[in-house]
Amino acid sequence: MGDTVVGIVANPLSGRDIRRLVATASVFPTAEKANMVQRMLTAFGVVGVDRVLVGTDLGGISAAVLRAIGTRPPRDPPWPEVEFLDQDPITQTAADTVNAVRRMAEAGARVVVCLGGDGTVRAAAAACGDTPLLPLSTGTNNAFPQLREATVAGLAAGLVAVGAVDIAAVTRRAPVLRVDGAGRSELALVDVCTSVNRYVGARALWDPAALTELYCTFAEPDGIGLSSVPGVLCPSPRDEPSGVALMLCPPAEATWVVAAPIAPGLVVPVGVRSWRRLEPGEVVEVATPRGVVAVDGEREIEFSGAPAPRVTLRPDGPRCVDVRAVLAGPARNRLIQEVER
Amino acid sequence: MTDTLSTSVAYELKPEALHDAYRMMRTIRAFEERVHEEFATGDIPGFVHLYAGEEASAVGVCSHLDNRDTIASTHRGHGHCIAKGVDVKAMMAEIYGKSTGSCHGKGGSMHIADLSKGMLGANGIVGGGPPLICGTALAAKQKGTGGVGVAFFGDGASNQGTTLESLNLAAVWNLPAVFVAENNGYAEATSSTWSVASDNIADRAAGFGMPGVIVDGFDFFAAYEAAGEAITRAREGGGPTLIEMKFTRYFGHFEGDQQTYRADEVARARETLDCLLRFRGRVTETGQLSLEELDRIDAEVAELIDEAVDEAKRAPKPRAADLTTDVYVAY
Repeated sequence: MGDTVVGIVANPLSGRDIRRLVATASVFPTAEKANMVQRMLTAFGVVGVDRVLVGTDLGGISAAVLRAIGTRPPRDPPWPEVEFLDQDPITQTAADTVNAVRRMAEAGARVVVCLGGDGTVRAAAAACGDTPLLPLSTGTNNAFPQLREATVAGLAAGLVAVGAVDIAAVTRRAPVLRVDGAGRSELALVDVCTSVNRYVGARALWDPAALTELYCTFAEPDGIGLSSVPGVLCPSPRDEPSGVALMLCPPAEATWVVAAPIAPGLVVPVGVRSWRRLEPGEVVEVATPRGVVAVDGEREIEFSGAPAPRVTLRPDGPRCVDVRAVLAGPARNRLIQEVER
Repeated sequence: MTDTLSTSVAYELKPEALHDAYRMMRTIRAFEERVHEEFATGDIPGFVHLYAGEEASAVGVCSHLDNRDTIASTHRGHGHCIAKGVDVKAMMAEIYGKSTGSCHGKGGSMHIADLSKGMLGANGIVGGGPPLICGTALAAKQKGTGGVGVAFFGDGASNQGTTLESLNLAAVWNLPAVFVAENNGYAEATSSTWSVASDNIADRAAGFGMPGVIVDGFDFFAAYEAAGEAITRAREGGGPTLIEMKFTRYFGHFEGDQQTYRADEVARARETLDCLLRFRGRVTETGQLSLEELDRIDAEVAELIDEAVDEAKRAPKPRAADLTTDVYVAY
């Protein structure tokens, strides 16, 4: 028996923040996250994955999967062997995602599926190294992870894992923005935004009046979240290495006022003073004198005074699986059996 | 386009407001740590359940409330009382069972109440608070006072029918109510990860058609912002919200609890997550307050608690003749 390994990490806290209150954002119940893991296990079983490493949590996802393994009727299609990663203490922070993904990469996982929002994928990206990542949306903004049926994503991830595809042809390295400031270093997959809020507080950003600068790895017209501002005004495709940088200001002083969906349920006027392309490798010093840096829509770093935080657009982000490319390519033949009559 | 949402910049606290919030959290902590010490001497009658560790919740929520607003508390109620403005010396005297106490020494720790402050009372009945808040919120709505009712309850109470019925009632009546689930991980000795079916209490809000959010209950600023949004929404007629604060209580379920059901999480929380520790670090890093100012508040609070205990010990007990006064039922 071979040992084809896939990892699944699911964030029990994604889709629970204050945006449910300020922006009628969606609720993604724990039970559905656990169901998604189970649907993927079925797909993995079909394409021949041997072993699946599943991260553990106190939110009930891994517990529900464990229960399902124990209560599955024998007539159901076989699942791969499931191993729960319970070596690290659970902190109920992003560290749980980082620890699980690091262990998956070390254990030789051929691909790691990440269930969460932009914040969860950001944590996974910091730990996955060269292991391909397949981000599935269960969070709030979801500018980066895709909203896809887990069964289909599971088939694609499984086909990557069993070697049915040329990895280089079906994966793409995403660029990232790295922020260094106040003694910390953070990665953003979509956007870095500065705000005059002094404190991280409830994390999410929902008040455009507080925003001052915005840096995006990509900006698409059909995007959701802060990147929708340049997405509407000055789009920058996902597959181009350059990004975009904007100086924001109150609408009264703006060159353009963009009605942008900065969060689900929140289409607000955002004032833009100027914008320009952001080139790969470029290092920008934040001009805002004090405030908070938000990465992928979540306030993360409080800063004041010198040295100012620096933002760098880097080409070496996580290697992400393109589900459509996997299933549209020759790997599809693995799902076909010609019947002799 | 909308500009009706409260802005996050509106939650920027001026130094005076930060002083008040810190003093309130420190007062709760010092009060509880002192009660912990004094209870061990045997001078305090009855049971006490201490709130230390959870201060950011009570203060983050009650900072947005005034005397129009009502709160219902739990058996772990000292923090809510202090944050809602109940007199600290009267509270201490009440815990000692003295006639100078908030309820003339007849209630004790689990029944401290002060209706003049909108504090409906600590409550020995698990899940007893949410129905009371449906009542006060309905009254506020009918009278048009602009008042909001806030029910604090724990992870144990989140499984009680009274709590679930209240969430339903508040939603169908669109009441100006906020439900604050203080999930400290254990209902007495039972882990919430074992006993709460949805694991996240906030997830249950969706079933009642109201927003449910999870907040880091150790972070004053997170609690303050979330509570501010929920209370503003309730005041403006937007209906109820469920907020789940996740944190750890520093002491046992009750004083004397051997806590064999949990490991070293308290030490980790005290060292790395503590609301007072983090508040001090952050307001001094932003330069809004100095360590000297914060230390001065600590000293003033310590003095207040010393006085409260001394006065409580010296105060007279209720007289036998007062046995049937201050009660709802006439004998």
